[in-house]
Amino acid sequence: MKTIISTGVTILILFFAGSSLLAQKFEQPVLISSAGQSADVKLVKMLAQRQGLNATTVLMAQPEDLKGIKTLIIVPGFSSKGLGAAGISQQEEFERVQTLVKSANDLKIPIVLLHIGGSARRKGQSDSFNQLVADNSKFMLVVKQGDEDGFFSAISKAKNIPLTLVEKIAETAEPLGNLFK
Amino acid sequence: MILLLVLILNTGIQGQSTYPSTGMNGAVATAHPLASAAAIDILKSGGNAVDAAVAAAFTIGVVEPDGSGLGGGGGMVIYLKNEQKSYFINYYGRSSERASEIDFSSSRDHSTAKAIGVPGTVAGLLMAHKTFGSLPLKKIMESAISHAEYGFPIDQTLAKLILDNIDKILSDSVTASVFLDDGFPRMEGEILVQRNLGKVLRIIAEQGSKGFYEGPLAESFVKGIRDRGGVLTEKDFASYKPELTVPLKGTYRGYDILTSNVPQSGISLIQGLNMLENFDLKANGHYSESAKTLHIMAEVEKLIYADRYQYLGDPDFVTVPVAGLTSKEYALERFNSINQSKLDPPRYRDAEYGNPGVFEEDLKKVQVLDMEPADGHTTHLSVVDKEGNAVALTQTLGLFFGSGQTVSGVLFNSAMTNFSYNVENVNYLQNSKQCRTSITPTVILQNGNPFLIVGSPGASRITTTIIELVVNVIDFGMDVNEANLAPRFYCQKFEDYLHIESGIKPEVRSELGWMGHPIKVYEGIDLFFGGAQMIYVDPLTGEYSGSADKRRGGIAIGY
Repeated sequence: MKTIISTGVTILILFFAGSSLLAQKFEQPVLISSAGQSADVKLVKMLAQRQGLNATTVLMAQPEDLKGIKTLIIVPGFSSKGLGAAGISQQEEFERVQTLVKSANDLKIPIVLLHIGGSARRKGQSDSFNQLVADNSKFMLVVKQGDEDGFFSAISKAKNIPLTLVEKIAETAEPLGNLFK
Repeated sequence: MILLLVLILNTGIQGQSTYPSTGMNGAVATAHPLASAAAIDILKSGGNAVDAAVAAAFTIGVVEPDGSGLGGGGGMVIYLKNEQKSYFINYYGRSSERASEIDFSSSRDHSTAKAIGVPGTVAGLLMAHKTFGSLPLKKIMESAISHAEYGFPIDQTLAKLILDNIDKILSDSVTASVFLDDGFPRMEGEILVQRNLGKVLRIIAEQGSKGFYEGPLAESFVKGIRDRGGVLTEKDFASYKPELTVPLKGTYRGYDILTSNVPQSGISLIQGLNMLENFDLKANGHYSESAKTLHIMAEVEKLIYADRYQYLGDPDFVTVPVAGLTSKEYALERFNSINQSKLDPPRYRDAEYGNPGVFEEDLKKVQVLDMEPADGHTTHLSVVDKEGNAVALTQTLGLFFGSGQTVSGVLFNSAMTNFSYNVENVNYLQNSKQCRTSITPTVILQNGNPFLIVGSPGASRITTTIIELVVNVIDFGMDVNEANLAPRFYCQKFEDYLHIESGIKPEVRSELGWMGHPIKVYEGIDLFFGGAQMIYVDPLTGEYSGSADKRRGGIAIGY
């Protein structure tokens, strides 16, 4: 059983060589969307509100929702309940996210991965969504428990994507806000 | 303490443990290692199966607070081997004496105080203990009190459910203060302390049922619920009585089935097994490898649900054709109505209910059907002691985290969502009525000896899951762990899909598609299909083998 010691300290881990990405700032307005339809996206919406971000949340965002958007935050995490509520299959959701990611890349809108669900949103049916979003992100903000096996760290290292790990969900608020300051 | 530490350290992977799941002196299977440990400790202290089941039930309400607890209800099948007697305690909730006064909508009010029915768990567990238990109540409740007051580490299942049900948890500030930290979900590994719940448990341990249903605590429940828009009264609490009756009885291929009586769903289990007796499952191959077997089983599941929705309600309010629904002759008639080569009619929703009244008199029929909410959550535990006494116990809060409303430390149920709101339905909401529920705790006997003790959470999947487990063990000769891990499927009248786990072979899925079944596949194993806890008793050696479902974070322990 994993034990969490909540120190309240944000642990910043940078796996990339250059420092330019460290200084990378993201612009607003922001679109927040889900990849897997877990309820985590609602918490990220709360986090964004606490930080006063100019953000819109669209659970099943489509390419047209990217109009005027400067940053896309995607919250990956599979939920059969969420998919059921949305009335779509896992495959349909995956294809939606693929399309959204491609459109964002085409429009040069940077993607931020925000993974807050810890072990509950890892492996199983979540990791295909985690992989897709992580591979296409410009920054990853992850609650540490979701990276205990080094999943996000490995992607960060291999693709030179900055990664910030925090201990608890509430601790994502400050680094999230800092991305836009 | 050492035992608990060992258990916790060894359960990092759901359902897996190095702790022995077999034994000759007793066994228990629950959805949480701490509840299993509580039950085993009671057995080792000289308690009987009922003592252990009650200890586990109180404990699991603390450590698996999403699934059951003091604010919920349930049912318990008890088999006393030496006396060769069986009992059923129905402690599911009832609607308020004023239920008809509120404008209730399941879709709108499921996470409000309007959804709360009179809780029966405390009265039911204390009735079981008082009637059949042997150890002092304070001893029985030690574990639950300790885990409430000192806390326990949140496991992966609970962490995920907190995340998944964040809206409901946020709907009540008191509930949020328990499961959230600074407004965000507590995570796996964090210690969850429930001090106010601990206080209530202490009151129950010291004062018994009266301490919960009467006096200051009941007054605070009523005030808190009414302040939140609910209608429960002090009379509702004071007058609640669980029912000590007999289980519903049936047979399957020479085994005796003891299961929950109406309005719980043991009747559907017996009907389904009766229908399957008319088909040679073994000769046609396991359902994961044979489309024909799975098709037949799915059609059986669909038809028993068609009958269930039509006929099953509170017997104090409606006449339930129990004899007809459980008769072998009616089962044969229903089985013969199945088209064995294709889905017929093409939509599950067009399946018609049967006429069990032909097989009994005094049938009162109504014409309108309703479906139930599909998101129910529950917990099951199975216990057997060295004397061979067995308990199958299933209890619930209704939906995940019940109504989401916590008053004076108790998270209350959402039982009102189980009623129909169509006046012509047998399950129509009336004052002080018990709703139809899917829970199906079951003890199966062979020659008077416990053979399989089984049950599951999973709302409307409960009955289908238990049918599949029973045929896995009895027809296909699987051991309990194989049976539990085997892929599952689910079909019923009010569904648009045949839900199946991906362990069902792709070619079987394809063939089912050709037969007309719309298929929805779940990768791997999925909590959607329940979390069965069961114990098998080897007829030759008498050894107990427990199995906790890997779809959930449970554990079986034997000694």
